Amino acid sequence: QQTITVNIGSSHPEANIWVYAMKNTFQPEVNRILAENGNAYQVNWVENYAGTLYKFTDTREAVMDGIVDVGMVGTVWEGANMPLQNVTYFTPFATEDHRMIIEIFDELSESLPELKNSWAENGMVHLSSLITDSYDIYATFPVNTMADLQNRKLNAPGTSANWLRETGATPVDGALTTYYTNIQTGVTEGTLSFASGILPTRVYEVAPELTRVGIGSMYFGGLAANKDFFDGLPEPVQQAFREAAGATSIAHGDYVGDLAARALDEMQAAGLTIHQLPDEEKTKWVTGLPNIVEPWLEQTGEDGKTVLKAYFNALRERGVTPLRNWDDGL
Amino acid sequence: MTTLAFGFVLIGLLVLLVLLGMQIAYALFGVAFIGIWLIRENIGLAFRMLELTAYSGIADYLFATIPLFVLMGLLVSVSNVGRDTFEVAEELLRRMVCGLGVATVAANTIFAAVTGVSIASAAVFTRVAVPEMTRHGYRPAFSAGTVAGSSVLGMLIPPSLLLIIYGVLAEVSIGGMFIAGIVPGLMLAGGFVAMLIVLTMVFPGVVLTDPEGARTRRLDRDFRPMPLDRMILKLIPIILLVVLVLGGLYTGFFTPTEAGGVGAFGALVVALSRRSLDRHKLWQVMKQTGVISVSILLLLIAASFYSRMLAIAGLPNAIAGLVTGSGFGPLGFLFFYAVIILLMGMILDSTSILLIMVPIAAPIAQGMGIDLMHFGIVTVIAVEIGLLTPPFGISVFTVHNTLNDPDVSVEQIFAATLPFIAVMLIVLITVALLPATVTVFL
Amino acid sequence: MSEETSAEYESGFVPSFSEAPLGAVLGSFAAAMSAVGTAAIGALMLLIVADVIGRNFLDLPITGVSEIAARTVVAIVFLQVPAAILQRRLTRADFLIRRIERASPATVAGIEAICCLAGAVIFALVLWASWPKFTQSWSTAEFFGVQGVWTIPTWPFRGITVLGAAIAVLAALYRAGMESRSIGDLR
Ligand code: NA
Ligand code: NA
Repeated sequence: QQTITVNIGSSHPEANIWVYAMKNTFQPEVNRILAENGNAYQVNWVENYAGTLYKFTDTREAVMDGIVDVGMVGTVWEGANMPLQNVTYFTPFATEDHRMIIEIFDELSESLPELKNSWAENGMVHLSSLITDSYDIYATFPVNTMADLQNRKLNAPGTSANWLRETGATPVDGALTTYYTNIQTGVTEGTLSFASGILPTRVYEVAPELTRVGIGSMYFGGLAANKDFFDGLPEPVQQAFREAAGATSIAHGDYVGDLAARALDEMQAAGLTIHQLPDEEKTKWVTGLPNIVEPWLEQTGEDGKTVLKAYFNALRERGVTPLRNWDDGL
Repeated sequence: MTTLAFGFVLIGLLVLLVLLGMQIAYALFGVAFIGIWLIRENIGLAFRMLELTAYSGIADYLFATIPLFVLMGLLVSVSNVGRDTFEVAEELLRRMVCGLGVATVAANTIFAAVTGVSIASAAVFTRVAVPEMTRHGYRPAFSAGTVAGSSVLGMLIPPSLLLIIYGVLAEVSIGGMFIAGIVPGLMLAGGFVAMLIVLTMVFPGVVLTDPEGARTRRLDRDFRPMPLDRMILKLIPIILLVVLVLGGLYTGFFTPTEAGGVGAFGALVVALSRRSLDRHKLWQVMKQTGVISVSILLLLIAASFYSRMLAIAGLPNAIAGLVTGSGFGPLGFLFFYAVIILLMGMILDSTSILLIMVPIAAPIAQGMGIDLMHFGIVTVIAVEIGLLTPPFGISVFTVHNTLNDPDVSVEQIFAATLPFIAVMLIVLITVALLPATVTVFL
Repeated sequence: MSEETSAEYESGFVPSFSEAPLGAVLGSFAAAMSAVGTAAIGALMLLIVADVIGRNFLDLPITGVSEIAARTVVAIVFLQVPAAILQRRLTRADFLIRRIERASPATVAGIEAICCLAGAVIFALVLWASWPKFTQSWSTAEFFGVQGVWTIPTWPFRGITVLGAAIAVLAALYRAGMESRSIGDLR
């Protein structure tokens, strides 16, 4: 019997949606599979969750540099080094089905050389996709028409700032941890966010009006292993990792789905009112957006075109009609 | 030797190096580098963690507020706003026992509403209050101790860097933390005042070089009182600053993190409008800001590297296991936790303690049903005691450096802050036992 | 002593060139870096105020302030650190040192020299660790920010870390040299 030490970690705590399945599915699944295969190998997990070793800005480098062997990598924060993975953030209003995003990106990260190589070039092996549930507007006011967004200040950090272009709303930087204070003190009047993320922050206390817009579910990053570490693992252990990763994808999708549903129930019980943005208003929003995918295509070149086409083809194959054909003319 | 035992050896090595007078940042960096290298048996990893920490360990908007709060403090100091506040307090408290000591606490309480770091208060009031107190027959070391002791108010009364950092680490509302700090902050100020009066009455020799003279001066009826309009004139700038900082914060014009920048700008405007600042002097103030800030910020980078080494050694998990396994109830846990923080406060700076302890302890506290805001205020008071405890007490060092008086040694100032530490301990226990002190306005 | 006071006139720690050419060059360079760092603090303040005003009164927030501020604060540290070393401003607990100094100033100078050497080693480690990331950020045109909204290259920031660490090594070595020379004088 051989014992292998695996350092596993994250910038976020265990209860976080992107970390939960690492601790609660990936680790036990690997153990289970190895035990079933006759216990020839055993893993000694060294856990470094909750940002004790590195911050959220460093998730890529942490796995790439071997600070952890397996970790949650937020490609959303890696616009410079892993831009291809951010395709969903530049093509909003595609699908609200987060399980579909997991399925598509589990597949594309393996089958599309552009994506697979990008992980390899960054010294990593992609194991399982991490996503968000669909983005909506949590605010102090309901949004019934696009006119309601005029001159409003909304927290919309990073790429999501793009989604407010030409809507008349002003995007204000922030993070899940700052929304509550920002809205409470009036720095902003709401935020673009997703149910599973917003529940623990109690933002609904200060922003009791949720308008379901359905900006869509986003690919957030991946559970990844350090490439040198992974390549050095015995074949049966690699296989166990792959199988456990498959289970992790399913568990992650279920966890986010359950949490989002529970979040909506709990928030409503706590006084949240839910509104629906009418379809014609949503269409106005989508068609009014400038071509926000353009700068991303310029940055990523041919690879970007391939990834965008493959992503949108995968969506359509699954019966989805994206509200805007961001891949037009490619 | 187990990794954990080795972790404790490394803590011992750190304490030794710090005691020997090595620059604390060097000691933290060095011990952590060796620790990561030996624990993981991989020097390459130590290099990569070092790079990561140096480049992004403090790359956070929060830490950008440190130089700005320092700048605000120094600007308020050169524009004599601190002095004016102190003079009005002195005037109003003339008849009180230990009037100048109480005036220092009162001025610090008001000043705390504009500054977010205690060292700013310590630097300002060392210049303003110590000479004045010495001139009126207070012992220089006692005066310095009073300034150091009351400077801790700066980080309990909002705005406060420590409350901001706690709020981020524990994921609770920073605005809420600010409100939660008000009552304990006032309790602390009240406790200091009571302590000063009792101390002066019972042991006048500890406080004053010439108790009889001070008594005569206090009872002297021939002084010319400061006219009311002059008093108001002197208070206008500090009131404007308080309104700007707290008002702007609570009406939503800016966030707690932006308060440092806006406050510094406000202080700059006040200084310029009072014509107390020319180009040369402004540059001097800015340079001093840089010098003070860099020593804190470098320490923060080093402390963050060190705490990552402790995480690799498995210390956070071990402490969490220890606490969960010990069967402590919420109060027992709170007590145990406070003691650990007090011990850490002797050798580490406040931010590092928060960075190391809060991520471990907050989930445990929450699991035990302790309100996280209540927990935060207990944490911050315990951490602030560390500003005054030897061997590493940054507020005492700041007062000592600013005073630059060869007759007042660091040890004397440490000794003079002991009564303040006692008051803080009493307030700490009171707040720990009575969560209502924190939640009353929430 | 009088020469030292006149030399201190400009920045407090730069000796005159004729007296100590190495120290003068090093000191002036450190002082210049520190001045840039000082200016950055002022710029940071103005940036925040501009963002607050723009957001509240003009509906024109400045995007990326939090990331820019985050990167700037690191730059401020590495711009200031060489001067802080030369000025002996790094925080330390000196109560034991001052006790020993009364008994044996030479011992203290020895301890000081060792501490300075430790500092040189530490900044050399930082330099060694940071150099590859600096060249990488240059060759891959790494940036932070959001494509299509705002982006800033990272190499100047990584460069400041490298430069600051390099000058800090020299500054710490220079101080170590000064201290070890004074051991002989104090004996
Ligand atoms: Na304060
Ligand atoms: Na202390």
